Amino acid sequence: MIDPIEQFNIEKLFTIGHIGHHEIAFTNSSAYMFGSVALISLLMIGGVSGRRLVPGRLQSVAEISYEFVATMVRSSAGKEGMKFFPLVFSIFMLLAVSNIVGIIPYAFTISSHIIVTVALALLVFITVLIYGFYKNGLKFFKLFVPAGVPIAILPIVVPIEVISFLSRPISHSVRLFANMLAGHITLKVFASFVTMLGALGFVGWFGAVLPLGLTVALTALELLVAFLQAYVFAILTCIYINDAIHPGH
Amino acid sequence: MARGFRLSSELIAGVVVGAGIGWGFDRLLSTSPFGLIVFFLLGFAAGVINVMRSAGVAPDRTGR
Repeated sequence: MIDPIEQFNIEKLFTIGHIGHHEIAFTNSSAYMFGSVALISLLMIGGVSGRRLVPGRLQSVAEISYEFVATMVRSSAGKEGMKFFPLVFSIFMLLAVSNIVGIIPYAFTISSHIIVTVALALLVFITVLIYGFYKNGLKFFKLFVPAGVPIAILPIVVPIEVISFLSRPISHSVRLFANMLAGHITLKVFASFVTMLGALGFVGWFGAVLPLGLTVALTALELLVAFLQAYVFAILTCIYINDAIHPGH
Repeated sequence: MARGFRLSSELIAGVVVGAGIGWGFDRLLSTSPFGLIVFFLLGFAAGVINVMRSAGVAPDRTGR
C-alpha cells in the first residue's frame, strides 16, 4: 500500500545553526524554494539580458509574464497599485513556478504546507494594514463602515465587516494550501490504484487502464490548478492592496 | 473543485475568526459563554458575506 501523505514529508538536509535551543534546518522544502527562485532568476535575467527588439523564446516568456502581472495589477488595483508590482510579481512567480515544479513526479510542492501559504498571506495582510494606515491614516477605518448603511444597524454591520476583514488571511492561505494538498493526494491515490491492480496479474492490467487514464487527465488538471491558484492568490493580493489604497470605495 | 474550495474556505475562515475572537473575548473578560455565542454568530454572518462576495452574488462593498 502506498502512503499518499508521504510525499509531503519534510526532510532535514543539513543544519544551518541554532537559535536558542531551536534547530534551524535546511529542509527539502527550503531546497525547493531556493530552486524555484533560481529558476525564476534564470528566466528573468537570462530572458532580458539579450535585449533584442524582436524577442527570442526566453525573452518572450519573460515579457509575457511581466505583461500578465502588470495588467492584473493595473486592472484590479489601479495605476497607484503599480507600486506593489514587485510584491505581486514575486508572489505570483514563486507560486506559479513552485506549483508547476511540484507536479513533476517525486518533486516536493512547497505550497502544500499551510505554513508557507500562511506566511505569504500574512505578508500581504500586514503590508495592506501598514500601507493602509500610512496612506489614509484613520480614514482606513472607513473600510469597515459601508456607505449608505443606516446608523441603527451599524453596530451589527461593523463587527461583521471587521471579522470579514480579519478572516482574509485565513481564506487566502487555506484556499491555495487545500487545493494543492487535495490535488496531490488525489493524484497519488489514483496512481497507486494502477500499481495495486497491476500486481493482480493479467486481469488487473486491463482494470489498471482506467485509473492510468484518470491519472494522466488529473495531471493535466493539476497543471491548470497550479497556475490558476497562483493567479488567484496574486489577484486577491491585488484586490486587498486596492482596499488599502482606496478604502471606503 | 477550485470554486468549491474557494467558497468553503471563505465560510470557514469567517466562522473560525469569529469563534476565535469570541473565545479570546471570554478569556480576557471572563464573560463565558456569551462572547463566544455572539462572536460565533457574527463570524457566521461574516463568513456568509464573504461567500456571497466571492461568488459575486453581493456587491464587493456596499456602495461601490
